[in-house]
Formats: sequence, C-alpha cells, structure tokens
Amino acid sequence: MCARCLEVTRRSLLLGGGAAAASLTTGVAKARVRPQDMVPLIGPGFQPTDKDEQGLWHEMQRVEEEVAGSNLVMQNPEITKYLQDLIGKVGGPAAKDFRIYLVRIPDFNAMMFPTGFAVVFSGLLLRMRNEAQLAGVIAHESGHFLRRHMIRSWRDERRKTDLFAIGAMLAGVGGGAAGVYMGDYVRLAELGTIMSLFKYSRDMEAEADAIGARNMAAAGYPPIEMANIWQQLIGEEAASASYRRKHRDRGYSLFETHPAPESRMADLRLDAAEVTVPGAAYDNGRARYLNTIAPIRQMLLDDQVKLNDPGASEYLIQTLAQDGWNGLLRFYEGEVWRLRNRRGDDVRAEQSYAAAVVYPDAPADAWRWHGISLMKAGRTAEAKAAFARYLAMKPDAPDAAWVRQMMG
Amino acid sequence: MRNRVLALVLTASVALGACVQTQQYADVQFTPPQGDYKLLVLRPDVTVGSLTTGGMVEPRADWTEQARAGIIAALKAQQAGRGGNLTIIEHRNELPGVAEQELADVERLNSVVDESIVIHKYLGDYLPTKRGKGLDWTLGEDAVRLGQKTGYDYALFLHAEDQVASTGRIALGVLGFAGCFVGFCAPNIGGATQLDYASLVDLKTGEVVWFNVVRAGSEVPGIKFGDLRTPEGAAQMVDRLLNRMKPGKAVRRAQEAR
Repeated sequence: MCARCLEVTRRSLLLGGGAAAASLTTGVAKARVRPQDMVPLIGPGFQPTDKDEQGLWHEMQRVEEEVAGSNLVMQNPEITKYLQDLIGKVGGPAAKDFRIYLVRIPDFNAMMFPTGFAVVFSGLLLRMRNEAQLAGVIAHESGHFLRRHMIRSWRDERRKTDLFAIGAMLAGVGGGAAGVYMGDYVRLAELGTIMSLFKYSRDMEAEADAIGARNMAAAGYPPIEMANIWQQLIGEEAASASYRRKHRDRGYSLFETHPAPESRMADLRLDAAEVTVPGAAYDNGRARYLNTIAPIRQMLLDDQVKLNDPGASEYLIQTLAQDGWNGLLRFYEGEVWRLRNRRGDDVRAEQSYAAAVVYPDAPADAWRWHGISLMKAGRTAEAKAAFARYLAMKPDAPDAAWVRQMMG
Repeated sequence: MRNRVLALVLTASVALGACVQTQQYADVQFTPPQGDYKLLVLRPDVTVGSLTTGGMVEPRADWTEQARAGIIAALKAQQAGRGGNLTIIEHRNELPGVAEQELADVERLNSVVDESIVIHKYLGDYLPTKRGKGLDWTLGEDAVRLGQKTGYDYALFLHAEDQVASTGRIALGVLGFAGCFVGFCAPNIGGATQLDYASLVDLKTGEVVWFNVVRAGSEVPGIKFGDLRTPEGAAQMVDRLLNRMKPGKAVRRAQEAR
C-alpha cells in the first residue's frame, strides 16, 4: 500500500481549495435567472404545513411583535398606508398578506421576514427618486416571500451542514481506521460548505430581482428603474469612499451574501428589457411619490447629513437634484459643506444658503444661516431681514433670543 | 432577538459537560417571596427545537406550544403552593391599565439588564464596585411605576429553550462512538441542551432581586436531562429554576446570628 499517496501536501490542499472555491462561486456556465421563469411558489393566504416551516413562522411571531412595537417604527399613518398600498400593487398573489413597517434608520435597506412582513429603512425613501424605484425594491423583497426563500435557504443550510457533519465524521473514522490524518480535508470541506451557502444566498437575491422586475412591470412601473437604483448606489458608495480617500469595496467576495451591484445592475437591465412590453404605458409616479414623502423629506435629509459622510451626502443631493433643485436640497447641500468644514467650505456653504432662500420652499434654517453669512460680510440690513424671516417662520426657535440680539 | 444572543452567550459560557448546573445570585436583602404576594409573569419565552444532524437548531411550533403549556401549568402549581397569586400574560396588550408600549419598555430594559448581569456575574467580567453586594441591579422607576399601576409585588421574566437531538444527530454520535475502536473517538459531538434563566424584579423598589440560570445539557446525543415537552420535564425545569430560591447574604447572616 502506498502510504505517501494519502499524504496531504500544502500544494494539493491549495490546488483543491482553489478548484473547489472556483467551481462553487463562479457558478460555472450558470445562466442568468430569467423573469419569465420566476413564477410565484405560493398563493394568497399562504400558511405553512411542513413542520420546519411552521417552527420558523412560530418563532417569527415574537419577532414581528418586537418590530411592530419598536420605537424606531415611524408613526406616520399616510406614509405607512402608502407603503402598504404599494406592496399591495407589486406583491403578486400574496399582495394582501404582507405587512410593512417603516423604521427611522438613515441607511439604504429593506428586508423581508419569513412570515411576510417587511421592514423599510427611512434612508431608502430618501434615495428613491420616484415611486417606480421604491416599488422595485418592495417588489424585490416581496419576491423573497413569493419564492419561499427563507424556508428554502434554511433547508439548504440544514442539508449542507448535515452532509458536512456526516462527511467529517466518516472522514475522521475512516482516516482513523486507515491511520491518516484527514483534518485538513475536513477544514477544506468546511470552507466549501460555508461558501456554497453564500452562493445560494446570492442566487436567491438574483431570483428576487427577476421576480421583482416582473411584478413591477405588471403593475405598470418602468422596470428599468430597478437597474437605476443600483447605478445610484454604486455612485454613492464610490463618492463616499473617494471622499475618505479609499476605493469603493467592489462587493465581490466569496463571502458576499448579495451579488455585486455591477452584476445586479447588468442583470436587471436585461430583465427590464425582457419584461417591458412595447407600446405599453409605464408611469414612474414621481409626482405622487414626492408628494407623499414631502412631510418627512426634511427629516430624511437631516438624518443623512448628520451621518458625517459628506461624500455620500453630496452625491445623494446631486442625484436628487437631477430632478430639479429646490430650497430644501440647496440648504442641505450647504449643510454638507458647513459640517465638513474644510478650507473653502464656509464659502461653499454660504453660496448654497444664498441659493436656497431664492426658492419658496427654503426651510427656516436656511434663512438663519443665510443671515449669519450676511452678518459676517457686513451686510447688516440684509442680515436683519433674513433673521426676521427666520423668526417669522419659526417663532418658537430655541435660539430666538440670540437671533433677536443679533438683530440689535 | 436579544434573548437569543443572551442564550447563546450563556450556552457557550457554562462549562460543557453532561450534567445539570444551576447558579443563582440574589440581592443581599432578598427574602424569597412567601405568603400572600402578587406575582406577574411577563411573556414566558419558550422555544423547543430539534437538533439537526449538522448541529443546527430547528424550531418546532408544536413542541414549543406543549412546553409552554407545561411550564405555565407547573408555574401555577408551584406558586399556588407558596401562597402566591400569579398572573401570566402572553401578549403585551393583556395587562389592564398599562399601555403596550410601556410594558415593552420594561421588557426591553429588563433584557439589557439581564444581559449585563450575565456578563458581570456569569462570564467572569466582575465589577469591583459590585463586589460583595450580591445582585446589585435595578430597573428603576419604570418598574416601580408598573407596580403602582397594577398592584403586583413582583415581576418574573423567564426564558427556557430546549433542543431534542434528531435521529440523525444520534446516529452521528453512535458513529463517533464506533470510531473509538479505530482511534478516532468523537461521541461527544453535542446533543440535547436545555437552557433556562429567570429574573425576579421587586416592583416596589424596581430592583432585580434574584437571578438564576439552569443548564441541563449533554455532549452525547440521545442522552437527556429533562425534556420540556413532557409535563414532568416542564415541572422539573420549573422546580430546578425557581424552587430553591436562597435568601440574600445579609438575610442569611442575620438568620445564622439568631
């Protein structure tokens, strides 16, 4: 018997590992998930019948109670109803079963839980430029539920960890009998198992994108808007990183749970082309969207600017301004510069405040900061007028006494 | 969610071994409730799952419900034996006169306080300022207000989780045991684990007066030290967790001096 044949060399380990990793993650000759193949796997009023899924749902009851009662949930009946209606439009057969919670977290995110309740972060509402984009994200999240991703990924994980445990034990016992140490191969198999779980997760995201594009188009929204979201996100992350003099995390790692934004964008463009019916009318619902979030838009901008991420904030404001500047956006542009406070930023901020007050929707604070910059420039009379405007708009301002003193 | 994290930390912390372990701490002035007291049990957090071959825990709705019913019945029987007046609420909106959000706040506060107790009492990260003070944590005014509004003397928070090794897990353990004969011995891959903890809050002072952790686990799949799914197992757990409440240090000293 050739004992050396069984010896695990460093070279064979690396080669084997490389090959295993490559075949697991690149998805050899794997076709794009096509929207037309993505049929919903559940109907209306779905209730689990399998033991494992029932267990998962049971656990989620408490999670939903906790989420629903969280003080991060925004108490805004109009916007909550708007979101609920939106998921009703793009939620496919389960449209009436979904619950949706809006939480005040200034970050780009939304998530779906196994029992069909979704959580949307307020940062998402800031970034969406029209109703179609928001509908796209919600359609994607609904897609996770319609394709039963939670229970499928749980079963995948259970199957793979089972196989790994059995394999590792057999390798150990077999190795023990043959007198060979199999530990290194077991480690490799462990890594392979972990990576294949991440791969599975990325595949599900691709499925959700495809079914999302399909449901979005069916509801009359231009499906290309979903690809645009990723373009915006890539731009925002690049701007944020370049401000910090770093490169954007390219998001392509073997341990990524979601596909890279670039490949998602490319796939979504193809999805959009496939599901778009020539001659059909698509409406991105921009006016309706902006109208709905108008009461909280200042708060959304305020939360973002205070994240102290000037690169991202500036990019976001520029992106939103592509649909037209207004007083609110100009004011927060100024705030980005003022809070960044590098050489020359004070001048930039002053220019933004001056531009903001030209618009009828300039917030009270724009007048305050404009007044301060006029005062610094020695234009006292104009400054006083600006302060007067500030106090008229915000009579209960906490700094009213100080402003009055400035006015002399 | 937080409870899960806490449970995980506790499982990892309590030394592994096939045994039943309990460790309780009490406020120095603590006297176990006796006689005519009113106890409020807030949403007992019970989960029973199946331990898969690969070692994952798969929650089971039917087992969890059986265990919850068993635990509640056992709790009622035990407290009635002590003369206590017990109310168990399952949802946050079931307590008359107290808003859902208010109760949620108390619960959330309690879970972070519990976390802190676990870190500083069980995980070895001892605080010099609390040395020799027994259990020195409080939920403060919120808990006192809850007591005033509802008239309860104590609030009990309870967490119980149990895992039952699946057939596959047991088979894997058997295989590991068989390996012992060829020099690869791994019977102790981890089997059923039961973890329970409880904290008692005095609603007159807001203080956490007593805290206990029970871990009944075995490293060998197939061997169990109590099964929450059965009425006997649930009663055994309630007994282990709550029946041997010891008075606080100062109270014990005073008793010894007498």
